[in-house]
Amino acid sequence: MQLRNKKLDMDTFLSERTEVVASWVTGKDVDFEEGVRYQHSLPESKRFSSVLAAADREGRTLRQPRAGVALVDEHIKLLQFLEDACDLLPSTIDAYTRLNHYEKAAEGIARSTAAGTSLLNGFPAVNHGLKECRRVVESLTKPVQVRHGTPDARLLAEITLAAGFTAYEGGGISYNIPYAKKVPLERSLRHWQYCDRLVGFYEERGVRINREPFGPLSGTLVPPFVSHCVAIIEGLLALEQGCKCITLGYGQAGNLVQDIAAIRSLRELANEYFQAAGFTDYQLSTVFHQWMGGFPENEAMAFSVICSGAAAAALAGATKVIVKTPHEASGVPTKEANKQGLEATTQTLNMVREQIFPMSPTLDQEIELIKREVRCVLAKVFELGEGDVAIGTVRAVAAGVLDVPFAPATCNAGKLLPVRDNVGAVRIFDAGRVPLPDDVLTFHRDRVAERAKAEKREASSQMVVDDIYAISKSRLIGRPR
Amino acid sequence: MNYLTKNRRTQGANEDMSETNVILGVIGSDCHAVGNKIIDTVLTGEGFRVTNLGVMVSQDEFIDAAIEVGAGAILVSSIYGHGEIDCAGFRGRCIERGLEDIVLYVGGNLVIGKREFSEVESMFKDMGYDRVFPPTVDIKSVAQSLRQDIVARQ
Repeated sequence: MQLRNKKLDMDTFLSERTEVVASWVTGKDVDFEEGVRYQHSLPESKRFSSVLAAADREGRTLRQPRAGVALVDEHIKLLQFLEDACDLLPSTIDAYTRLNHYEKAAEGIARSTAAGTSLLNGFPAVNHGLKECRRVVESLTKPVQVRHGTPDARLLAEITLAAGFTAYEGGGISYNIPYAKKVPLERSLRHWQYCDRLVGFYEERGVRINREPFGPLSGTLVPPFVSHCVAIIEGLLALEQGCKCITLGYGQAGNLVQDIAAIRSLRELANEYFQAAGFTDYQLSTVFHQWMGGFPENEAMAFSVICSGAAAAALAGATKVIVKTPHEASGVPTKEANKQGLEATTQTLNMVREQIFPMSPTLDQEIELIKREVRCVLAKVFELGEGDVAIGTVRAVAAGVLDVPFAPATCNAGKLLPVRDNVGAVRIFDAGRVPLPDDVLTFHRDRVAERAKAEKREASSQMVVDDIYAISKSRLIGRPR
Repeated sequence: MNYLTKNRRTQGANEDMSETNVILGVIGSDCHAVGNKIIDTVLTGEGFRVTNLGVMVSQDEFIDAAIEVGAGAILVSSIYGHGEIDCAGFRGRCIERGLEDIVLYVGGNLVIGKREFSEVESMFKDMGYDRVFPPTVDIKSVAQSLRQDIVARQ
């Protein structure tokens, strides 16, 4: 296997770079040295890592929306409209660009121009190119992140980082398994080593770019330990390539104690693994994603889901929260709806800000459970990789040791089946081939059995389906009615 | 109708349906997998023989599969907003490839933004889809109309 968790050397990187920038016409405008100079010209207030560091010091939770449309001027208008209501800005990339279908993105741009409205679900940054991306950065006063879902995000990284974006979301696992169908994991991991190395080169030149593995994965009943394993692995891979500013993420599951335990354990586990691998000089923060599953159509009810996520994010002590909108059930929101999601979040964050969720035996038990699960799975990943976490990841996914529920990628086993327990925490219904200790499996089984008894039915795949739709139907737990 | 006759008829209908192949998939560059798995489960439970192509399916992949298994219907899902681009011209492509009479359904969040469903429905009916569904539709009711529409076309 060619893939190894080893810092890419300059020659390998540069010869690959020639191919990358030639893969679409706008690539030729990218000049790394000029990009470094441009990044240095940005004020501190537009640097993602600085804003995150300040928030982390003050114990504040920052607000960030998702947003992106097809045309540059409209995209700028959208972000300017949201800017006052948030702390960090995104540029959400359209689904064609995510799969490197730049011709399709060009068609989407043309049809959007003709229609006078965006027909794409995001901002096609590669097609617009360096100068137009810079116009986005220059029209705003806050830091901007690239948010996408791209297995091969090398050209996108070259263009947007040179253009002054100061944060880059994604990773070789988290932007493959939930976002692609047939991309081999070795390939996406290798392509993300390139992105991480590029960020590392900027870092070596004094430009700090924030890197954020995508936390929620399939966004559908993902047990915390599953997403934590992926987040920690992608953190380790990024650190190896020279990234220094890492934000690890988690998607709201809905049980408050479990959600708080997840964010607290994520930070502690990441420090544990990063330091064990010999990394000490890094900046770590966390991101909490408001509910990523199906939303209620009713907008008042959607606001309630949004606010429950805002409260959990603040109580958990996440550095930032990714905000949903009341239009979530219908897809891409209007800018007004997007801002309303931010305003609802702001109100809740402000009310919860000073409150501290007390430690309790229940919270402590949840934190310890997640830590044990993560340590078991990651031990197996390292074992399978004979010490190399990149190789171990490929083998662990193939073996179903790392298994993301409800993901589209064919390389993913999809044997792990989660279900909620009687208090709504996400538990394991079927562990598939994930190597968890017997007592942990017994704990999950008992919790699920408790719910089954309360509902006077057997735990089954029907229960899982009921859970998937529960929040969109105004509940957390998919109980029979 | 007495219970037995009714029961026998229902059984008969299900038997017929077990012979009925339908093609299921999420069109374009859309990676949303969860709803697709659930539609598959429900339609299979309702007695259809489902060929599920999963996510990120092109128009030609749908048609290839439909020809291969002799499907009575193609069920197209799209949830990410590019439906207007991805779904256009599908009926024409089916006719070109000899599937004049195939039942064509589409459902999901088919356009960018929150729009009146009736508006979206007529847009996609004009494209040649027989039925258009919002993301909230009960899949069992889809199964019912699917059964009727396939029979009507035969």
